[in-house]
Amino acid sequence: MPAAFRTRRVLATSAAVVALLLAVLLSLAVGARAIAPSTVFDALLHGGTSPDAEVVRQLRVPRTLIGLMVGAALALAGTALQGITRNPIADPGILGISQGSSVGVVLAIAFFGVHSLTGYVWFAFAGAALAAVAVHAVASGGRGGATPVKLALGGAAINALLLSVTTGILTTRASALDEFRFWQIGSLDGRDTQIVGQIWPFLLLGAVLVVSVARGLDALALGEDVAKGLGQRVATVRIVGGIGATVLTGAAVAAAGPVAFVGLAVPHIARAIVGSDHRWVLPMAAVIGPVMLLVADVAGRIVFPPGEVPAGVMTALIGVPFLVTLVRRKAVPA
Amino acid sequence: MTTVNLRPAGYGIVRAGRASFLLHRRSALVAVGLLLLLAAASVAYLCVGERFVGPTEVVRILLGQPSPSTFVVEELREPRLVVALAVGAAFGIAGALIQTVARNPLASPDIIGISQGAGAVTVAAMTFGLTSYTVLPYLSIAGGVLAAALVYVFAWRGGLHATRFVLIGIGFAIALRSLTTLFMTKGDYLVAQQAQIWMTGSLNGRGWDESAPIRWTLLLMLPAVLWAARAQRTVSLDDDTATALGVRLGGVRLGLVAVGVVLASVATGVAGPVDFVALLAPQIARRMTRTAQIPLLCSALTGAAVVVLADLLGRRLLSPVELPVGVLTAAVGAPYLIWLIVRSRTASAGGKA
Repeated sequence: MPAAFRTRRVLATSAAVVALLLAVLLSLAVGARAIAPSTVFDALLHGGTSPDAEVVRQLRVPRTLIGLMVGAALALAGTALQGITRNPIADPGILGISQGSSVGVVLAIAFFGVHSLTGYVWFAFAGAALAAVAVHAVASGGRGGATPVKLALGGAAINALLLSVTTGILTTRASALDEFRFWQIGSLDGRDTQIVGQIWPFLLLGAVLVVSVARGLDALALGEDVAKGLGQRVATVRIVGGIGATVLTGAAVAAAGPVAFVGLAVPHIARAIVGSDHRWVLPMAAVIGPVMLLVADVAGRIVFPPGEVPAGVMTALIGVPFLVTLVRRKAVPA
Repeated sequence: MTTVNLRPAGYGIVRAGRASFLLHRRSALVAVGLLLLLAAASVAYLCVGERFVGPTEVVRILLGQPSPSTFVVEELREPRLVVALAVGAAFGIAGALIQTVARNPLASPDIIGISQGAGAVTVAAMTFGLTSYTVLPYLSIAGGVLAAALVYVFAWRGGLHATRFVLIGIGFAIALRSLTTLFMTKGDYLVAQQAQIWMTGSLNGRGWDESAPIRWTLLLMLPAVLWAARAQRTVSLDDDTATALGVRLGGVRLGLVAVGVVLASVATGVAGPVDFVALLAPQIARRMTRTAQIPLLCSALTGAAVVVLADLLGRRLLSPVELPVGVLTAAVGAPYLIWLIVRSRTASAGGKA
């Protein structure tokens, strides 16, 4: 049985990687101007100045790169946060980290006169970092340190507080709402290579941090006492994992806006496929996340032509059937 | 208070004739305290406004004596206060029930899709040009109930599993919210702003007519809520223990969720999805009473207090501009919950949902 299971895992992971390659190809080829895969390869490998090659290199490659990075980042962050809080519905959104970014961006729009996507990045990032620090500060107060329930509740409370700041500004400043409502959904549209350059170091750092605590997350899943008994430094695992998740979320939200659902659903889908070992779940999530986001983005380009439906909207609409099927199929522990 | 919180000694016996029952002393004290707070907040709510009316005068008007300010207090402020109280209590109870069934302190009606269902239907109706305030509340009630029913059907598989229920609920919630934002971005800018205000939750312009659905619902649901207060205890045990004790878990959970869903949907229909009351009130109440279960009465009182205080602030903070109540409920409730978390003395106080 273990051998069979291992084969299954390897097969599933390879299948996921193939799916990822297909999703990347689709994202490069499909759109308002459909481009044949051979032309796409040609444009990537040999350059060229035909309109098709320009479209692929100037528009679709940055967009696809952002999709890859954001999808992987959110999925990894969600997996880490669910492990740390031991709560299956924890994700960057519900714990207030995305909301921190939103507050940063709303402030940038309403008070600092920042109106470009590249300008938002640092505000979003700072907001996410501050929110995460606040959540940890709240949860680690009182006796017992940052227990999972206190982290989850502290996150929810901070999220609530930040949301009221956001809505407070938006309901009193109509012009900010008009701009913010488009950022808020999360989209891959109109992102250029400059943003890729701004966020990739953070993604790398965050991914390394999260992957480095994979064993710790496994132990933590057995309960705090068992984890301590197994020789894990519970507090360190939580802090390192938490910093990793925050950096990943901050960078992802800065690049694409608060895309919901990927951080919540992908970890569950990954766990349903490869089991609960985080050394398998994390890579699997990092592959499935971009697949989901890219497929959603591609679908968003073709459902209502000539307009586009933002990826943030499509991910949930496409992903829910998968989540429902997998959650129903698998006997989830209470 | 450094003793462990598992102490049966915290109960007193109340005798009324031949009947007697156990009363959690701290819960009773907290409930009395909340009632006093609520009474004070309500009087303040009736006093404050464009024109200040003295507290003694307000009390005299409430007792039915004639006064020049009768119209302002009874016709303008009182209906809105009643809506605030009813909506807050309904959200408090709904949140408590859904958190109990889901066994997750993060669960609440706005997480399992009720608010989003109501929101999607309402914003869709607004986008298609239906803006009459006589029809919209009923549409959003229907939307909320429908969303919850869908979640329940999809989560049911030979029983209702707590985690499955919450996960599928949250999935639907996000999908429905995406639909709402789709309507908002594709629609007109004015519709977007109107929808944004509705989705924040507002008590503005709610009179006796608008508050009728929530008042009747609370009255009619009272027996069900009393049943829920008892039934709630059994589902907070783990599945195996509860089943072994002879609890029909499926039925009891369905009942509890149904009560919560109806209350939350009607409250959402009347005031919009007032954020976080349902999430925060039960947790604040449980941390104040220090009980193992979420106390229903105290949740209802806390919810009402949060909404009344938030609306009071919203009306006066930036007057003459009124902030919608949903902007401030979190600002009132969240700091208090944060304070309760930070100063929690016992390690196990944060241990259970």
